Amino acid sequence: MSARTGRPQRPEMMKATELTDDGLLGRMIAGDEEAFTLLYRRRHPSIYRFALHMSGNPTIAEDVTQEVFMTLIRDPKRFDPTRGTLGGFLFGIARNFLRKRWEQDRRLVALDGDANEIGEASSSRNGAGNGASRNGQHAKGNGWLGAGGSDEFATRETIQRVRHAVGTLPENYREIVVLCDLEEMSYEEAATALGCPVGTVRSRLHRARAILLEKLRDAQTARRVPAVGT
Amino acid sequence: MSVEMKPMNCMQFEEIVHDLDRPGTHGLALRERALAHAESCGRCGQLLTETESLDQALHAIATTEGEQGAPAWMESELLREFRYAKDGTRESISGRRAAALGIAAVLLLAAGLSLHRYVPGVKGRAPGQPIQANGSAAATAGPSTASAVESAADFIALPYADDPDGVEGGTVVRVELSGPALASLGMPVSLAGSSGSIAADLLVSDDGTPQAIRLVSQDEWAQEF
Repeated sequence: MSARTGRPQRPEMMKATELTDDGLLGRMIAGDEEAFTLLYRRRHPSIYRFALHMSGNPTIAEDVTQEVFMTLIRDPKRFDPTRGTLGGFLFGIARNFLRKRWEQDRRLVALDGDANEIGEASSSRNGAGNGASRNGQHAKGNGWLGAGGSDEFATRETIQRVRHAVGTLPENYREIVVLCDLEEMSYEEAATALGCPVGTVRSRLHRARAILLEKLRDAQTARRVPAVGT
Repeated sequence: MSVEMKPMNCMQFEEIVHDLDRPGTHGLALRERALAHAESCGRCGQLLTETESLDQALHAIATTEGEQGAPAWMESELLREFRYAKDGTRESISGRRAAALGIAAVLLLAAGLSLHRYVPGVKGRAPGQPIQANGSAAATAGPSTASAVESAADFIALPYADDPDGVEGGTVVRVELSGPALASLGMPVSLAGSSGSIAADLLVSDDGTPQAIRLVSQDEWAQEF
């Protein structure tokens, strides 16, 4: 029942929030403003975060997010549901815009300052993470974290180190880590977003994570050397 | 009966170590074997620990940044753009529809005239059979009289026209036709052979097909213009 008119609402209006992305897109194409709003609210955070991680710059992340949804408004029929999910399609658009920006401005390569900028923005808002792994288990040892033990990796410093390491990965490895590990996409979804086979996603992610571990080990070694010298 | 687990080697372990906790991959299924290998291999055990630490740190980043998103002003900007695009689409659709209807009407008229010219033996009412228009679009068959053409009071059914009862709701359109065009519509040649163009009213049905014609007298024509 509509509070304003006292008349019963149409069933399709009541169930708008339960619609899939494809359903919302269909209604959006028909001119339904509410459907567009729901779709935007559902999808913009991950697009923004992806752009932020890739660019290291909140302003560019905003521009890219806006361009992605402008593209969806102007040409929604570009999305082909037989070729993947709408989420993957939107990430693909974001990636293309980032590449264009990258070509225009080489500063898009994440630098130390950029990675810190992301970290400061997020840690000031949310604080440190809870340290739960993907399946809820905890690390058994200290690994590249040094002698601090498992409690230490939950600290802001540890998160900063990993964030920095991600930010300094080459672009093609960084995007796969952002999609699969930070946005927790499946290999299939990432493959749609990147326009490459699932096998490529898997092998590239494994290589990216191997590089990350090397970077973190090197950073750990660099931290230890002065301590040994003194 | 218990099935003995096939032991995993270091190469196999490195192949799947990054998928051990990842849903939808072979890693979960191979987890037990991988853990068993890591227990017996110091190097792989260390790699497993590092990988799990990395997973936890990445998850912590994802969690802490999970609330991040585009600023609020963007939604209103995009909504404005959405409304603009929607209105533009509507205008474009209505314009295209009007153009298509116009083209269809012209084509139907041309097709009707061509049919009569090239298919003289069309079934139906004989050419020249008058129809009473009485100022409305509804048409009914009436007796054939020669004076009907000259008085310009009655509509004359076109050779290919439908049953006059089905012409309800049509429209009368005034046109100027040349002598040969009038002849093609079944008008007497002597009348159609006059010089210049002659004013006539066409009774057009809802589907755009001309159904009947009447000539307009010069007096009537002069009064209107």
